Amino acid sequence: MSILVANGLTHWFGSEVALESVDLAIDAGEHMAVLGENGAGKTTLLRILATAARPTSGGLEIMGLDALRERRRLRRRIGYVAHAPGLYPALSAAENLEFFCTLQGVSRTRAAETLALVGLVSEASRPAGLLSRGMQQRLAIGRAILHDPKLLVLDEPDASLGSDAADLLAAVMSDRTVVMATHDHALANRLCQRTLTLRHGRSVGTATRLHVVR
Amino acid sequence: MTKYEKAAAGGVALMLAAAAAIFLFAPTDALQGPVQRIFYLHVSAAIAAYGCFAVVLVGGIIYLRNGSLVADRFARAGALVGLVFTTVTLVMGMLWAKPIWGTYWTWDARLTSTLVLWIIYAGYLLVRRLAEPGRQAARFAAVVGIFGFIDVPVVHFSVTWWRTVHPGPIIVNDALPPEMLATFFFTMACTLVLAAVMIGIRYRIEALADVAVHAVAEPAHMVASRDPEPVN
Amino acid sequence: MTNSFAVAVAVARKDLRAEWRTRELVPALAQFVILALVIANFGFQIDSRNAPSIAPGILWLALVFAGLVAFGRAFAAEREQASLEALLMTPASPVAIFAGKAMAATLLLIGCEAVLLPALTLFFGTPLSVEVIAAVLLATIGMAALGCLFAAMVARVRARELLLPLLTLPLWIPFIVAGGQAVQVAMGASGSYDQAMALLVDFDILFVVLTSLAARFVLDD
Repeated sequence: MSILVANGLTHWFGSEVALESVDLAIDAGEHMAVLGENGAGKTTLLRILATAARPTSGGLEIMGLDALRERRRLRRRIGYVAHAPGLYPALSAAENLEFFCTLQGVSRTRAAETLALVGLVSEASRPAGLLSRGMQQRLAIGRAILHDPKLLVLDEPDASLGSDAADLLAAVMSDRTVVMATHDHALANRLCQRTLTLRHGRSVGTATRLHVVR
Repeated sequence: MTKYEKAAAGGVALMLAAAAAIFLFAPTDALQGPVQRIFYLHVSAAIAAYGCFAVVLVGGIIYLRNGSLVADRFARAGALVGLVFTTVTLVMGMLWAKPIWGTYWTWDARLTSTLVLWIIYAGYLLVRRLAEPGRQAARFAAVVGIFGFIDVPVVHFSVTWWRTVHPGPIIVNDALPPEMLATFFFTMACTLVLAAVMIGIRYRIEALADVAVHAVAEPAHMVASRDPEPVN
Repeated sequence: MTNSFAVAVAVARKDLRAEWRTRELVPALAQFVILALVIANFGFQIDSRNAPSIAPGILWLALVFAGLVAFGRAFAAEREQASLEALLMTPASPVAIFAGKAMAATLLLIGCEAVLLPALTLFFGTPLSVEVIAAVLLATIGMAALGCLFAAMVARVRARELLLPLLTLPLWIPFIVAGGQAVQVAMGASGSYDQAMALLVDFDILFVVLTSLAARFVLDD
């Protein structure tokens, strides 16, 4: 069953094309990796799939709902980790998560559980601005799963994570449908069943278990 | 001649007719002398400026409701033409004020609110230029236009109220004799027609610009040669 | 279902807590207004006779510029929109988020006013009465709503230092006119304090309602 169906997603920034007529379909529980060079349009695509941005044209259906009209409803079931963590530096790790628990309408106990899941219990009262880049990334990932979303959209989550990135991501991604942008082909191979490659904003096709093309 | 050139020529012709009426038909004011003839164009331009602002308001509201690109184009056109007419109003006002009151500027309600109108138009156009082109620019500008439209009468009212405590120079408005009144209405009509023509032409320019922006990035002959998307 | 009021309060608390921990904004604002008063003294040659007629003007001048800084910071501090986006991805309504940020910015500006008004009294001998304080507070509410709305807009746009005053000041004029008159009367000038205050209330209601309606267009796509 398709959880996400995109038709002809196109996005312009002024007179520059960022995405051109991208189609894709993702089934429930599937993990898809989005590959491509910097500037190929991965972030733009992921932002649209997460309903953080609206495409200039094209259709998107998520969980049976029109994603362009029902964004508020869909966002309850979508978790998104952006390129930049966007945490509050003056607040501690725990406070960051507790704040978002209130906004998400979930119990504040979820904050403590999530800290444990992403391995940040020892840093719970450290101001987020003082955390290392890798820990900030984990916190951002934790924030994205507070409300137990069915669809997870991750923009280069492995960028600052250390060697245990794969384990953490595997744990976070289990039982969810995931779209993940990454440069790490080995990671994509390990965690995802399918890949979509973008080049200059166009889809060059999807493949099952990446064939390394050089 | 295209229909736009004809409309432009018509607008100019009407303004020349209005000028003829102002200088040849209307009598000279007994108190203020020939300088008073500025009044016809000054007030007409002010009315046109506010009329354009109404176009900006309505266009903005319609755009926010249903994302209509046509409404947004009219708002853009109205803002630019409105800025022109507001500038004309302010300059003519200052030229008229100096010989009559001895000063170029007084902080009375009408001048202040016209200045505010000018600033809001300028803000509208700047926001359009500086925001992310497309939906964000249109949305932000629409909000600026709507707030601005409500603000101008509020400012006018505030200053009028303030003037009851801090009186300033008084603008004497005697009743106008019929020839002057007729000249004024004629000039106002010609100016409004000119404003409408200018908005129409500007609308066309905006429409062409919207299309051109997309055509530059992807010339038509390339679209056909693209391979179909591979399916997994 | 997220409770909008709880969301607004949570957002306000978050902003205030962050400010309390970094203590950047309020000291900067306080320093700015003190400096403005010192400059005014030498610029205007204020003595006890002309103080009541000049002081209200200095008050509003200092307040307007402090306000531009305070509200500009409310949204710029969302780290180039990365965290604002995370906020908008939650079910929380944009109006509630906006209200929370406006409340926090208002309280911070009031903190600045708590320095400005006593300093004005200290330096220029103007009265610090309930009437003066009430007038300033009433004007602050409406100015905060407008300032925060345009700060939210401008945060995502280039040249924000230029654009924020350009968009905000025309909308602040009615507050400065009515508030200025109220403060002048409270400091001894002739005129109607009640009329001025009634106008401030009307403006507050008008613009708070309008900004609430506009918030979702400015914050979200």
